[in-house]
Amino acid sequence: MIATPENFSEGLVITLVGYSIVFSALVTLFFVFNSLSKVLNTKIRNRLRKEGKHEIADLPNIDVTGEETAAVAMALYLMTDVHDEESGVITIKRDSKTYSPWSSKIYGLRRFSR
Amino acid sequence: MKRFKLVLGIIAFLTILTTGLSYAGGFDKANKDQQQTEVVNDDLESVREGAKQGVQKFFSYTGFANASWGNMIMMIVGLVFIYLAIKYDYEPLLLIPIGTGIIIGNVPFFQDGGMNLQIGIYQEGSVLNYLYYGVVKGIYPPLIFLGIGAMTDFSSLISNPRLMLLGAAAQVGIFITFLGSLFLGFNLPEAASIGIIGGADGPTAIFLSSKLANGGLVNGVQTANLIGPIAIAAYSYMALVPVIQPPIMRLLTSKKERTIRMTPPRSVSKLEKIMFPIVGLLLTTFIAPSALPLLGMLFFGNILKESGVTRRLADTARTSLIDIVVILLGLTVGASTQADVFLTSESMMIFGLGAISFMIATAGGILFAKFMNLFLKGDKKINPLVGAAGVSAVPDSARVVQQEGLKYDPTNHLLMHAMAPNVSGVIGSAVAAGILISFLF
Repeated sequence: MIATPENFSEGLVITLVGYSIVFSALVTLFFVFNSLSKVLNTKIRNRLRKEGKHEIADLPNIDVTGEETAAVAMALYLMTDVHDEESGVITIKRDSKTYSPWSSKIYGLRRFSR
Repeated sequence: MKRFKLVLGIIAFLTILTTGLSYAGGFDKANKDQQQTEVVNDDLESVREGAKQGVQKFFSYTGFANASWGNMIMMIVGLVFIYLAIKYDYEPLLLIPIGTGIIIGNVPFFQDGGMNLQIGIYQEGSVLNYLYYGVVKGIYPPLIFLGIGAMTDFSSLISNPRLMLLGAAAQVGIFITFLGSLFLGFNLPEAASIGIIGGADGPTAIFLSSKLANGGLVNGVQTANLIGPIAIAAYSYMALVPVIQPPIMRLLTSKKERTIRMTPPRSVSKLEKIMFPIVGLLLTTFIAPSALPLLGMLFFGNILKESGVTRRLADTARTSLIDIVVILLGLTVGASTQADVFLTSESMMIFGLGAISFMIATAGGILFAKFMNLFLKGDKKINPLVGAAGVSAVPDSARVVQQEGLKYDPTNHLLMHAMAPNVSGVIGSAVAAGILISFLF
């Protein structure tokens, strides 16, 4: 049950070459997306400079974190959705109903006094 | 109604009358001719004999007559799968179909002398055999990848691309187990199929074994049919991620390392999200074209999701389509564990190698994260627990990392970070499968 040497040496070659290809594939992806974000950032910085927002464009990090996005979304939600057109006057309205025999106490089963 | 009753009554009366008359006639005849009576007696005897044989034959066709210990053991395994899924919630979407499939596949039936009653999964022409085609021909795995692509958000990976390397590092499990399998006497294609269990990706494991260990000739080498054991091992270990990974994570990391906080991922623009599947597809499939069925479908699914204009298609791919395929895949993979084919020493070795493969993959990811930390400074350091998610069991492995992280710092959420190596592990294991196919097919 022990592997023949030729079989094993072929396996070793496949292992070394195969693993390095897997690694290089993902390393290439890493480089592409690492540089892509840099290219996109440069474009955004240039646009900001054109718009005259130099103080933002020159910040070392102009990325927006997910937490910041969540905070902005929450703020917008609170500002626009919850307290939009309210009068600000809190009153207690008197509850009045028109008479109906369906809810009348005098037709109830327990109207007899003890 | 009255008429109906009347008609029924007449039919019943006529039936009784004719039966009675024929019996009476027979009785009269018997009285007249004794010789004929003997003939009738002989007939009765032969009927009795026939009935006895019929019952015996019926019994020989039942599960009770054909049951073997193997069937019983496998049925218990199936019940354990169902129990684990219900009681401990271990991957119920996989373990329930597989567990039930194991029971279905191990109901004993008559197959003496290679008789084909078109019942079992390995009998040509049976319904289960047709459904199993999707596994044998590698049809189901790409469809599952389509669904995975349509439900995966790659933004954590795009925001921190260096975590992609952890997904690559964890693939070491595949190749080390490949070598280990060669040592245990498996031939090259079989060893490659066993090694892929370390990729922790069920569909990829099935895809590779359907190509390299399908019982046919592969590149001039006769292979055994190992699809069943490999698929069962891969899915079992995927379900057991919460049991297998934490001890290795604790063993290889210090308490201080486990509490490292990573900077929150940045927001990713829509352009980047759309570009990722397109660039990913082109890059990875140019490097490993054999992985095209898997990676092509994965990135296609992701384009459906991220394009924003094919919502209906993306919804179908990630819900109904993937559910249908999981049902068929789970059931047939379970049923493929028919005891006479499945219970072999090779299967046991595959289970052992699979577990080792999984552990090496986990360790590979963690150790590589520690290695990367040697070069990273300050808030760029990586929590090595995240490396364990380099195995591609999505999203279980990332969930385990999150839970382990919370144990040592209840405010340190690692889930988003762990998703990055987790999805890159899917890409990595598919590329590895492609490379192994191109080397050995």
